[in-house]
Amino acid sequence: MDASLFQIHPAAAEPIYRQMVEQSRRMIASGQLAAGDALPSVREVAAHHAINPMTVSKAYSLLEMEGLLERHRGKGMVVAAQRGKVKSQSARLDLIDPAIQALAKQAGELELPASIVIARLKEFLEK
Amino acid sequence: MNALANSVMNSPSSAPVLEARSLLKYYGDQCVLNNVNLRIEPGSVVGLVGRNGAGKSTLIRCMLGLLTRDSGDCHVFGDPALAISDSNKARIGYVPQQPEALGWLNVKQMLDFVSGFYPRWDHAFVTSTLSRWNINGSTLLSKLSPGERQRIAVLRAMAYHPELLVLDEPAAALDPVARRELLREIAIRAADSGTTVIFSTHIVSDLERVASDIVFVHEQGILLEMPMDSIKENTLCLRLSPEISALHSGKIPGEISRRVHADKGVSIILKRDDGDVWPALCSAPGVRTETLGLEDLFIEVAQ
Repeated sequence: MDASLFQIHPAAAEPIYRQMVEQSRRMIASGQLAAGDALPSVREVAAHHAINPMTVSKAYSLLEMEGLLERHRGKGMVVAAQRGKVKSQSARLDLIDPAIQALAKQAGELELPASIVIARLKEFLEK
Repeated sequence: MNALANSVMNSPSSAPVLEARSLLKYYGDQCVLNNVNLRIEPGSVVGLVGRNGAGKSTLIRCMLGLLTRDSGDCHVFGDPALAISDSNKARIGYVPQQPEALGWLNVKQMLDFVSGFYPRWDHAFVTSTLSRWNINGSTLLSKLSPGERQRIAVLRAMAYHPELLVLDEPAAALDPVARRELLREIAIRAADSGTTVIFSTHIVSDLERVASDIVFVHEQGILLEMPMDSIKENTLCLRLSPEISALHSGKIPGEISRRVHADKGVSIILKRDDGDVWPALCSAPGVRTETLGLEDLFIEVAQ
């Protein structure tokens, strides 16, 4: 995998390390990154995107703490073997949280009561 | 990467690379810097932003001992800024806003001449960079375009691998490709050697990429000094409707700036500490919140 794996948007409201964490989570959840795949080195990512190396280290450390990445001697960061093929429900729920938060925020701005929004959401989910 | 890890590991106990304490600077009877305190830690990449005339260049020049101050203290690698030892001077690379020195020499003569002062001069880096840039070594410095002049000045400052690199508006005369190349070089230096970098710029998207810390210089002082990530996570813009604005004319907790719009509504920039929650006002009716990118944040606080 090379450093173009990540799509970095410096001007976004979301810090770059968060963008890297979110993208990695999704790529691992979808199988785009498989167990044993090596991630580009901190230096490669920093040089390719002209971003601060500490930002990249921070993203990798967070992913390591989550258990999604493992540090391998001589190989750098590698996608960890997933325990159980299917991600737990709560893990998958975590991945959808940002979208739910955005929905909640917009509902608040439109001053829509929660019960109405939940009913509408339920309709969509059951379609 | 190891160099980076080491420099980061060592930093908490080690002295700051640059430090200003209670810095006061006047031009005539005009105060430019009023009681400024700033510490630059080893391995950080610090972006200085502020409006024209806010005092960014003056701050840089005072901290490096290139300008005398009216009171306060500045230190570079632990030396007083006005008495930096020769060995510490060789650890500093500085590119002024308008490099003009040695204009009667050609590019190659100047680089050869300067290389003699630095045992760590990287001839291979200089040669490969010049050929990549397509700059003819026999051109007189005074005949170069401003952009080329600036690139040569950056090349000169980077050629001896300084531990501290100070760039005053390096992007002003560079096109987007050259700018990106400079940022990339900064990122590589930070990764490979833990180089400490300070650069002032108006192009805030450059800072969002490569800076670890942001310093806002505003009205003779430092309005805001935060890690880049924290700026995005711990600042918030509130837009209050005119009716709500009337109820909150006093400062609210964490407020760093406030702007009144034509309709009497206000926008307020709030700052919180890591892990704190936003005040209840943020979720009140008639209040919109927005996370701002650095450019919009800068415009809100600097207006």
